[in-house]
Amino acid sequence: MNPTLVTTLWRQRLTSPVRVAILAALTGMPLLGVAFMPAAGLGLLGGAQGLILTLGAGMIGQDLSSGVLQLLFARPVRRPEYVVSRWLGVGLAATAVSLLQLGIACALLAGRGAVPTAQEIVMFGGGRLLESFGGAAVLALFSSLIGGFGDLGIYLLVNLGAGIVQMAGQVKQWLWLSRAGAEINAALTPTIDLMRLVTATPMPWFPIVSYASTVVLCLALAIVVINRKEFSYASG
Amino acid sequence: MPPAEPGALPSGSTRARPSVLLVVALVLLVARVAIGIYEEQRPSSVPDLVRWQPIEGAEALAREQKRPVLYDFTAEWCLPCRAMQREVFGDPESAREIEQAFLPVRVLDRMREEGRNAPEVDSLQRRFRVSSFPTLVVVPHGGGDAVVIVGYQGEKSLIQRLRAARMESMLPPGLRPPRGR
Repeated sequence: MNPTLVTTLWRQRLTSPVRVAILAALTGMPLLGVAFMPAAGLGLLGGAQGLILTLGAGMIGQDLSSGVLQLLFARPVRRPEYVVSRWLGVGLAATAVSLLQLGIACALLAGRGAVPTAQEIVMFGGGRLLESFGGAAVLALFSSLIGGFGDLGIYLLVNLGAGIVQMAGQVKQWLWLSRAGAEINAALTPTIDLMRLVTATPMPWFPIVSYASTVVLCLALAIVVINRKEFSYASG
Repeated sequence: MPPAEPGALPSGSTRARPSVLLVVALVLLVARVAIGIYEEQRPSSVPDLVRWQPIEGAEALAREQKRPVLYDFTAEWCLPCRAMQREVFGDPESAREIEQAFLPVRVLDRMREEGRNAPEVDSLQRRFRVSSFPTLVVVPHGGGDAVVIVGYQGEKSLIQRLRAARMESMLPPGLRPPRGR
C-alpha cells in the first residue's frame, strides 16, 4: 500500500462538490428515516452500495483518461501497488462514512430510547466494512477496463443483465438460471451476512469463501489489465 | 545492483505479475465451487423452535382454539429478524410460551429475492400496513383491532410486549385501549 496514493484519492474525491453532495444525501437520507421511525432500528440504513459507487466511480478510469497514469508510472510506482492503493482508498473511505453514519444513527436511536444492542452495532459495522472493501474490489476491476466513469456503466449493465437473467429464470422456472442471475448480482457487491454466519448451525463457509474469492479475483484481474496497458506520452 | 524480485519484469518496468494473487484467486474459486455444492446438499439453519402454522386457515383455527394469531412478518435479509429468531424463537422457554399463548404464523417476504410475494403474503402486508421488518401482529381471536409491534429491541422487551398484547387480546373489544402504532 502506498499512503500517498491513498490520501491523493481521498483528496480527489473530497474536492468534487458533486460527489460530496451525493455522499451527504446518501448518508443523511437514511438517518432521517432512523430519526422518524426508530422502531425499525439500523435496518433503515440499508447497504453501502450507493456510498461505494459514489466514492469509487472512476477510481482508475479517471486517471486513465486524464493522463495521470502516464505520469504516475514514470515514477517508481508499481502498477499492482497503484491498483491495491486505489482499492484500499475507496474501501477505507466507504467504511469511514459508513461508521460515521452508524454512529449518528446510534445516537439518534439512543435519543429516542431505542438503543441497538452491541451485537447489532458490531454486526452492522462489520457488514458495512466487508461490503465496502468487496464493492471497491469489483469497481477496481471495472474501472481498470474502461476510462472515465465507464465503470459505472459496466456496473449498471451487469446489474441490469443479472436482473434480466434472474427474471427469465423465474418466468421459465429454471432454477439454475435464476440462481446464476442472483449470483452475478451478489458478486457485484460482495459481502458476508455476519448475523447469519453467527447464528447458523453449522457455520456456513460458502459466504466467506465466496467473498474472498470475488475480492481476490477482481484485484488480480484489475492488476493484470493495468499491467497489459501501454502508456505513452504521445497517446491520447 | 539489488537482485530482481521474483516475478518482476525487466528492470525499470512498473509492471509486476500478481502471481500469488492469481494462485490464491484460483484456489478460492475452486473452493467456492466445492463448498457451494457441499453446502447446497447440507444447508445450515438458524435454530427456530416455534412450530409455525400455514397462513391459510390460521385465523379460523385460532377462533376454534380461542387463541390470538401471532403473525411474524419477516424477510431473509433482515438482520434484526435473524437476531429475533435466534434469541426468541430459538430459545426453548420463549418458544414454548409463544406456542401456548398464540397461534404462530410466519409471513416471509420474498420481494427482494424474487421480485414478488405470494398473494396471501401481499394481502396480509396490505391489511396490517407492514412497511418494515420485523413486524409482529397479534390478532385477537374474537375480532377487533390487532396489536402491531414494529422492530426488535431485545428478547426481554419483546416477550413483555407479547404478554401485554396477549392480555389485551383476551379482553372484550369494548374494554381494549384505543390502538396506535
